[in-house]
Amino acid sequence: MNKLAQKYLRPSQIPTKACHGCGIGMIENWLLQAIDELGFKQEDVIFGTGIGCVGRQTFATWGGDNFGATHGRALAVATGLKIAQPDKKYLIVVGDGDAAAIGTSHLIHAARRNLGVTVICEDNMGYESTGGQFSPTTPAGYVTNSSPYGMAEPSFDPCDVVKAAGATFVAETTATQWHQTVKIVKKALQNDGFSFVHVRFPCNENFGAYALGTRDTLKNLEWIWEHTQGRTVDGKETDFTWETGIKHDASNSRPEFSKILRDMNERVRTKMTEKGSGDGGH
Amino acid sequence: MAIIQTGVSEKLVAPWAEWAERYREGRRLLEAGTYALTEGAIAAGCRVFAGYPITPATDIAEYMSKRLPQVGGYYMQAEDELAGMHMCAGASLGGLKAMTATSGPGYTLMHDAYGWAITNEIPLVVVDAMRVGPISGITGAPGQGEFYVARYCSHGGNIETIVLSPNSVQESFWLTIDAFNLAERFRTVVTILTDQVISDMFEDLFLPRDYAELGGIVVPRRHNLTMPFYPLNSDAIDVPPNIVGKGTGICVSAYTHTEEGYDIEAMEAQWAQTYRLVNKIRHHREEILRYEAVGLEDAEVIAVAYGAASRTVKTGVLEARRRGVKAGFLRLISLWPFADELFERDARYLVCELNYDGQLVREVMRAAPDKRKVHFMGKSGELHTVAEVATALEGVARRGSIPELPYIWTEVR
Amino acid sequence: MAGTETKEAPAKTRTEILISGFGGQGVIRMGQILGLCAINQGHRVTMLKSHGTETRGGYVRAQLVISPEYVDSPVVENADVFVAFSAPAYKRFHELCRGKILYDPEMVEEVRSDVPGRHVEVPATALAKERLGNVLFANMIMLGALTRLAGMDFEAMKRAMLAVIPRFHEENLKALDLGYQLDAVARRA
Ligand SMILES: Cc1ncc(C[n+]2csc(CCOP(=O)(O)OP(=O)(O)O)c2C)c(N)n1
Ligand code: SF4
Ligand SMILES: [Mg+2]
Repeated sequence: MNKLAQKYLRPSQIPTKACHGCGIGMIENWLLQAIDELGFKQEDVIFGTGIGCVGRQTFATWGGDNFGATHGRALAVATGLKIAQPDKKYLIVVGDGDAAAIGTSHLIHAARRNLGVTVICEDNMGYESTGGQFSPTTPAGYVTNSSPYGMAEPSFDPCDVVKAAGATFVAETTATQWHQTVKIVKKALQNDGFSFVHVRFPCNENFGAYALGTRDTLKNLEWIWEHTQGRTVDGKETDFTWETGIKHDASNSRPEFSKILRDMNERVRTKMTEKGSGDGGH
Repeated sequence: MAIIQTGVSEKLVAPWAEWAERYREGRRLLEAGTYALTEGAIAAGCRVFAGYPITPATDIAEYMSKRLPQVGGYYMQAEDELAGMHMCAGASLGGLKAMTATSGPGYTLMHDAYGWAITNEIPLVVVDAMRVGPISGITGAPGQGEFYVARYCSHGGNIETIVLSPNSVQESFWLTIDAFNLAERFRTVVTILTDQVISDMFEDLFLPRDYAELGGIVVPRRHNLTMPFYPLNSDAIDVPPNIVGKGTGICVSAYTHTEEGYDIEAMEAQWAQTYRLVNKIRHHREEILRYEAVGLEDAEVIAVAYGAASRTVKTGVLEARRRGVKAGFLRLISLWPFADELFERDARYLVCELNYDGQLVREVMRAAPDKRKVHFMGKSGELHTVAEVATALEGVARRGSIPELPYIWTEVR
Repeated sequence: MAGTETKEAPAKTRTEILISGFGGQGVIRMGQILGLCAINQGHRVTMLKSHGTETRGGYVRAQLVISPEYVDSPVVENADVFVAFSAPAYKRFHELCRGKILYDPEMVEEVRSDVPGRHVEVPATALAKERLGNVLFANMIMLGALTRLAGMDFEAMKRAMLAVIPRFHEENLKALDLGYQLDAVARRA
């Protein structure tokens, strides 16, 4: 275990059961780096996850308080929790299925409400824990275990969705961009509002094996890197390009959801005392 | 026909039989069941409501949106019922008592959240105001179609549930306080199965003067700050609920868990968890049993009902007694765990419920000594009339069967 | 936690009142005031409200039961009083009533002729238009008439009305009084 892991994680829950070479552990380390650089302690951060590889492999690794919601509902749970525990930082680490398929409505409405949480959507471009089926973020045309002829549906970019819904911080990065990712996560955590960080990473076991034809971690990382550059290592144009970086930064520009509700309570109760209605019980 | 005017015993086994005596000062109003239920929740210390509007539970949401900010609580309108119940679970985990309310179509969306809250021992109250179905059915008509759904409110088995059902506006108030108390004591979800009639009906309602004075009956929220977070293999109740956000290192998840809350795939852990979830309720059934009984001592035929149906059924029983039938009345208030002990008498039972498929009647058949003496009187969408009930009781008492009546179904198989 | 008591099988102590009309005529409001008035005088009250959909005839109905004791069945099966604010409501429910039927002749043009003694004509809509300039007050005129007819405490009814209705107190009081003072009603009370 490295120093950061020793400082923040639970020794009993490390290493996880993730496949060898999986990017989930690496990204978690980068999250720890961001947390550390911001000076947060274990008790400052609540760690929430979903179901799937991303959820299960990170759940309970965090040394502070953890919750692993049902599939897709991490943000719904976080909404209630934030109301009760508004002073905490929330890292909601979920998969692309969790965030952008089964849980999309909660994602959209958490963004709309400007709920004060940071969502880390770790996107391996498919439902990997169920064996590698395509998801709404699988690039069109790619082969997975449920798209043997190439994924027929168009995919979408969850960053566009949350931005349109009102997220106050939106960024995209990948498992090939260490420093950029740490920088982005730090910024996300400093927004007292809804932050969405989309991190693509390779699943060697499924997406790598079926869509790209290799279980080699480096080759899979290379494929991702090429698509952030728009060029393959041998100089050819890639079939599409991912623009990474901060896509929208309106951090701290509008009130956070739990604060809106607290302020409303304040107004209602002030009015009640002014009116002298007392109203004690009723 | 001889008219027998014998005295008839009435018995209410529920904590509020005594609470109502204890609190005398307050206001008398004419209000709806939804209003009373909301006030019960506020009085019990509920500070979060998250839900999605649906008739006839919408008024609860609206009342909550007005009342919660006044008492420092939070009303959240969720994007759907799935979100609503998960939000409530999150809020309760964060230390606030929470409730959601819905009707059939929304209720069936809550199963994931039910399982999550029950397994993680999160105190919550869920209200299902039943209307006639299936699906949207008729929004303004009562039903009793979720008797079993409320018991089997999540998938995967290995749970017991607590389900209560009020039958008046006043009882909606007290019973809701009780539901919150049981949720805290048992660290679980307590379901209130009410219905369109009891929700929408206006009735005289007594509200105690100051809810702060209810301290003696309201179980306050406590926090468990130490291990074990999940006392596996234990049937203990009154264990304080866990809290997320106090840095205890608690882990809460959808998986089979260890005492710490870590996910684990081992049969011993699965069994230990099940022992806890099932037996904390089964081994304390007497703490949950609530019912009303009239004239059971001499009854040869006992009418059984709950919720709205029990209102006309009770009058029907009294009418039948006036006609000389030795009839009794049994109203279940706690529906689950099922009160097998109330059906030990070798009498005839007439089970009246607001559906045609027959749900409660199946449990009575299982619990009664002779299932051939259990009769079904189902009606859909409308309350049984007093005349129907009295006639059926006469038929069962005198001839062993219910005479043919329009709109009444009697077949269970 | 148990309370046991023995009581006599009750004699009929309940008064059943049925009010029905179209949506927007203040049927439920009328029931609320009536119910609250009874509660304030120490009675127990239930009121079922139902909204029939278009296919069911488009009516709003309030079923009130008032009793000195707890009311078990809240269903009005034998109304002591029926207030009919519309022809469909009259047609649908008059048979449930064994007692007096108050009806608004502007809304219910035809009533059964076999029991004239049970019918009381209350021109509430016409009076509301004429004297108060708004049909919205018809329900309070009807309530005034009902108060007189049923021998209820008029002052208590006024207080209940003021507690239930948030606005237009002056007009509503006037409407109540108009109904209460109606000659046709006073003669039958
Ligand atoms: C309601 C529900 N539907 C389906 C599943 C099965 N399931 C578990 S994880 C998963 C997909 C996970 O995909 P993603 O969120 O992208 O996570 P990954 O495994 O790819 O990291 C599915 C379909 C479930 N657990 N719950
Ligand atoms: S299946 Fe893929 S995403 Fe899941 S642990 Fe293995 S490599 Fe990682
Ligand atoms: Mg995935």
